[in-house]
Amino acid sequence: MRVTVGMGSCGIAAGAQKTWNVLEHCFKEQGISLSVEQVGCIGMCFNEPIVEVITDTDHFYYGKVNGEMAAEIVEKHIKGGVPVEEYLIPEEEMEFLTKQTRVALRNCGIIDPEKIEEYIGRGGYQGLEKVLTTMTPQEVIEEIKISGLRGRGGAGFPTWFKWNAAHESPGEEKYVICNADEGDPGAFMDRSLLEGDPHAVMEGMMIAAYAIGANHGVFYVRAEYPLAIQRLEKAMAQAREKGYLGQNILGSDFSFDLEVKAGAGAFVCGEETALIASLEGERGMPRLKPPFPAQRGYWQKPSNINNVETYGNVPWIIREGGKAFAAMGTDKSKGTKVFALAGKVKHGGLVEVPMGMTIREIIFDIGGGIKDNREIKGVQMGGPSGGCIPKDLLDTPVDYESITKAGAIMGSGGMIVMDETTCMVDMARFFMNFTQEESCGKCVHCRIGTKRMLEILDRIVEGKGREGDIELLEELGQGIIDGSLCGLGQSAPNPALSTIAQFREEYNAHIYEKKCPAHKCKPLLTFTIDEDKCTGCGACAKKCPVDAIRGEKKQPHEIDASLCTRCGSCEATCRFDAVHVD
Amino acid sequence: MKECKCGGKSGEIRTDLSELEPILTKYRNIPGSLITVLQQTQGIYGYLPQEAIVAISKALKIKIAKIMGVITFYAQFRLNPIGKHLIMVCQGTACHVNGSEKVAEALAEELSIQPGETTPDKMFTLENVACLGCCSMAPVMMIQSQGNNEVYGPLTPKSARKVIRDIQAAERGEAE
Amino acid sequence: MSTFQLTIDGKVCSANQGETILTVATRNGIEIPTLCYHPSVAIYGACGICLVEADGNPKLLRACATEAREGMVVNTKSRRAEQGRKLALELLLSDHRGDCRPPCVEACPAHTDCQGYVGLIANGEYKEALKVLKEIVPLPASIGRVCPHPCESACRRKLVEQPLAIAQLKTFIADLDLADENPFLAEKAPSSGKRVAVIGGGPAGLTVSHYLARYGHDVEIFEAMPKAGGMLRYGIPQYRLPKEVLDQEIALIEAMGVRIHCDTRIGKDILFEDLEKQYDAVYIGIGAWKSAPMRCKGEESQGVLGGIDFLIDVAQRKPVAMGRRVAVVGGGNTAMDACRTAMRLGAEKVYVLYRRTRAEMPAEEIEIVEAMEEGVEFKFLVAPTEVLSKDGKVTGIKLQKMELGEADASGRRRPVPIEGAIETLELDTVIAAIGQKVVTDGIPVALTDWNTIAADEHTFLTDRKGVFAGGDSINDGPGIAISAIAHARQGADIIDSYLKGDMVPYSKPYIVTRQDLTEEDFLDRAKIPRAIMAHLSPEERKRNFKEVNFGFTEEQAKEEASRCLECGCADYFQCKLIHYGQQYHVDPQRFSAEPRRRKSVAVNDYIEYCAEKCILCGQCVRVCEEVAGKGVLGLVHRGFETLVNTEFCKTLELTECLSCGRCVDLCPTGALMETWVGKKRVPLKENNIYPSVFPKCADR
Repeated sequence: MRVTVGMGSCGIAAGAQKTWNVLEHCFKEQGISLSVEQVGCIGMCFNEPIVEVITDTDHFYYGKVNGEMAAEIVEKHIKGGVPVEEYLIPEEEMEFLTKQTRVALRNCGIIDPEKIEEYIGRGGYQGLEKVLTTMTPQEVIEEIKISGLRGRGGAGFPTWFKWNAAHESPGEEKYVICNADEGDPGAFMDRSLLEGDPHAVMEGMMIAAYAIGANHGVFYVRAEYPLAIQRLEKAMAQAREKGYLGQNILGSDFSFDLEVKAGAGAFVCGEETALIASLEGERGMPRLKPPFPAQRGYWQKPSNINNVETYGNVPWIIREGGKAFAAMGTDKSKGTKVFALAGKVKHGGLVEVPMGMTIREIIFDIGGGIKDNREIKGVQMGGPSGGCIPKDLLDTPVDYESITKAGAIMGSGGMIVMDETTCMVDMARFFMNFTQEESCGKCVHCRIGTKRMLEILDRIVEGKGREGDIELLEELGQGIIDGSLCGLGQSAPNPALSTIAQFREEYNAHIYEKKCPAHKCKPLLTFTIDEDKCTGCGACAKKCPVDAIRGEKKQPHEIDASLCTRCGSCEATCRFDAVHVD
Repeated sequence: MKECKCGGKSGEIRTDLSELEPILTKYRNIPGSLITVLQQTQGIYGYLPQEAIVAISKALKIKIAKIMGVITFYAQFRLNPIGKHLIMVCQGTACHVNGSEKVAEALAEELSIQPGETTPDKMFTLENVACLGCCSMAPVMMIQSQGNNEVYGPLTPKSARKVIRDIQAAERGEAE
Repeated sequence: MSTFQLTIDGKVCSANQGETILTVATRNGIEIPTLCYHPSVAIYGACGICLVEADGNPKLLRACATEAREGMVVNTKSRRAEQGRKLALELLLSDHRGDCRPPCVEACPAHTDCQGYVGLIANGEYKEALKVLKEIVPLPASIGRVCPHPCESACRRKLVEQPLAIAQLKTFIADLDLADENPFLAEKAPSSGKRVAVIGGGPAGLTVSHYLARYGHDVEIFEAMPKAGGMLRYGIPQYRLPKEVLDQEIALIEAMGVRIHCDTRIGKDILFEDLEKQYDAVYIGIGAWKSAPMRCKGEESQGVLGGIDFLIDVAQRKPVAMGRRVAVVGGGNTAMDACRTAMRLGAEKVYVLYRRTRAEMPAEEIEIVEAMEEGVEFKFLVAPTEVLSKDGKVTGIKLQKMELGEADASGRRRPVPIEGAIETLELDTVIAAIGQKVVTDGIPVALTDWNTIAADEHTFLTDRKGVFAGGDSINDGPGIAISAIAHARQGADIIDSYLKGDMVPYSKPYIVTRQDLTEEDFLDRAKIPRAIMAHLSPEERKRNFKEVNFGFTEEQAKEEASRCLECGCADYFQCKLIHYGQQYHVDPQRFSAEPRRRKSVAVNDYIEYCAEKCILCGQCVRVCEEVAGKGVLGLVHRGFETLVNTEFCKTLELTECLSCGRCVDLCPTGALMETWVGKKRVPLKENNIYPSVFPKCADR
């Protein structure tokens, strides 16, 4: 029997450490000869902390396990042999996992990321071995080409092409770099993969290094992922011990070693040339392309930069064959993709599915539909570089081309689900605020253009929108896309432009009627008390922080609009549904 | 307007540079180490004192103007000391959609400081940070106390205040 | 080193391996604008001004950073490229805080370079000052004496104590030049063979003639009156503008080759159509010479004179039908000229009757003050209802007393009659100085609804081919002299381009200005009172036509000129940002943005850094690091908040700065400028008088 606890960052945030401690304590105290094992995040975030009890014949998943429940499970199940039914994750919720096709996440939540033996036990480093003993670098590149693997960081660029370009570049000194600067707010796929299965990513990098002729590899991990950095360093140490890193790996001519460098808090460093600048100890400002990193990258040497998930797929592809990968997905988008499903969805978390599954299936079949059974409004895909897919386009299959056609981008895989309480203008403003703050400031179109777009959006959500604002946003947006130096600027206007295209009525309402249909933008809301429903209990008046509600006892009360700050406390307090928001 | 925060008045705080020496020795001749050195320096002092910056400039042979450029570019680096507990409120999309603004407001009110500021008793520093990657627990905040990070979520304005008050109570308890 | 060919803007150019599109274009005489590029420092590619389009590439390319390739077909002026460039310029200008040109230059209808000539006066460069002045105004001695100087009303020195006496400074250098043995004569371009007929020898006609003569054209003025000068001679009295001064200035215009035919009236002595046939272009500057009637009963009585008619007769030393008790009706400068002239002609009692209050009188304050000092009695809030007469001669005037009511469309409060309040004055002369009308007899051009000549606002063309017009006679009607000069100055350039076959209309170039300065911003300035020009006392002057003002002494002029705050950016004529901005007709106002507020940091005695003009091109940082080898400057912060700064905000002398001045040299805007010690730093279009060597160029 094995007992595991999911110990990814969000599991720990949910209290997994406490659960672990209780289990350990119980085992020790009660003389049970089991040790609690840690596994990475399985991605079923809505059920964290997750405890698994695994026997030769059965596999039990317990969800939302706190200390008391853990003790009970030890008593009733581990000792008593009877599973605790009410703590088990229900069948429909398990569909969240069972409907997925896990290639990149194949080991996440199953192995202990701090034990290299477990990785090896599930086929780990077999890809590397195959490559070093039976394949030439060109053959490796060919296999990746057959697989159809495209960059999973957002651009969707054919991976084999990048590797080939670096391979062809002359020079003895080359580098492979892993872009783990997962900066998209709302995306946590890379974090989970690094925390849950660091060896998979490392092995992918080693294979890439062999293919291009590099002997050094660098992980660029964002500063906000301390656990990921920790797990990586541990994994690297263990890999060195076992001879997978260092000189003459597995007895071949291939020598390779890795290091981890942390980012320091700049979203723009997810752009490859800015990333390189940061690795070189400089301000993270993008450099002109061409020359591309494959020709002149890190320290002006040929460098291959790929995303975490991209590398994570590589060992599997080599082991199972490129054809097997290409058997999944669509014509132009092969394989699987990990999505971070979040927002107003019932079951949020990491979802890996074959390309081609529709958005609707992901949200409703796997994600369980909308929280509180509200009406879906749309899905934000691609984070601050992406766009909003409205509800009538939910049958769009997830593949690079279809998503782009629908007005968004695949991006790194962030999928934020929205319902009717989400204001699309506010979302556009939120993303523009983000990109404007993260702009490096080098080029004029992005540095000043995003600021100007933000000013217009700020005015609109404050009720000061003007005739011509939408047209100005469209013109500025297109201009910024045309003139920006790097991908940040080139995609910053996307959320605004896509919401204008798909939800223009909301913009019109904000500008011309000075109303927010989703009731989100405070300056545009009016709070009134329904005379018929109000019982005069005075509860709201007591709560009001600015004393804006007046009324006699038992008489309908009234809100003074000139004092109202629209904080919403009255609406939250009223038990009679008498406060109307418009 | 961005205020200059370089702490241009020198000589006010005496910094013990002996802890910095081993780091400078290690990275002295490794190109591209500036950010790593700055991160480790901040790890020692909790921020980047002016004297440390001067020492780094000498050791790595990088002009101070350039080092200041790197420090001010990245959100992680601080030129002023922080409080005992660093509260980082996540500003990610999922958190935003699930009400992070109200949580941030509540915290600012509870502590009577704005993001970027430290309470007068030097107990808490409040910061807005980029997505922490715990989106299913939105809205989320991470509190760093003497090197330890704890993540709290999903938060409501009320529960966020409670976390602060619990910490304050614990601090008082320890003091007594 | 292989050479290959590519096409730029249709021209086949050869290029070497590794060269950028910009390098190739420049070598082939094709200009691509740049702001952050300089051959002496590393390529940066930030400003986005050099965007070009290349066939087959869906993205716009940065010419400074893109390698030329064989067979490339580049278009530097495609619609997309120009739009991209224009947007970058507009974004930069929307975030630029400063004054390209000072408020005085902006306020002047002719945009005379007040800061230029005032600065040169302060530096003792009088001849140069006059040259700058005469770029726009050919009659500076006359104008300096009579202009109501909107420049002074806008002068920011008033936020310290009082505005500069710009008009009097103008008079100072003009008089100096007239007194010189060799007064300034502008160079003339070679003869063009084109002939221009100018109808009217007033300020408009004289101005257009002077500049057309400079451009090499043959100009003839046809003037109806016995002498040229227009209203300057006939409408403005001797004591304000001595005719001798005007004569000298007109003589200098004739010295440029302009021929003036006096006593020649169009329609009578010469036909308009004949001029059209015989000349390549015609300019109409006939002014507005008819007095507007008062429209009150008894107006036709003997003793009622038109204000202009009165002044014209006096100017010609003709006998005037003026009695002993005179009332001048009106509140403008003509009314002041009339009442003070009447006083000088010996009237016993002179009234000025105005329907509103003193605060609303359009006349210049100094005129009102001096008139009052000379004994003129002002009656406010009165309107004539009837001119009383006996035997057809004026005996008095009946006045309706008024009070101020609601404001009208112009913002001024309307006077309303007080029921039953009537006042009667005993008079023998009534002078109506309430406005002037245009008389277009003999000139068959289309008119506006107000019976003025209809002239296009950008080209000054009338409805007849090759016929232009300007001054008091067009569109909105009579204005101040400098406005007529403005029309004519712009008109000269337009006619010159017309004569060369490709007419270029006038469009006001875009500039950045500040509206946010208050007294608070100037609290650190020492208060120096405005110079007071010596002048005749009321007793000394009220019964004669001697010039009232004496003029400045050299010492006074220099001291007064030194008060100038130098509001306009000293780098205006070198600034690449505004140069391109004007070329691309930008409109940054549409972003309704507030330019950032930044504190300027890190200066020393030789270098000044204006953070609010900085466009973050980074050239100063790169040149200090790569060429000077000192790396004193760096970029700090990120994104929109980025700034150029020194380490720990130190001033430059505490750093390794050499004061070599390379950063100042490269700066494309006025963000980094050199400081001129002890002199005013005068922005000049053609700077031949101030050395361009940096004050401390030890290391060059």
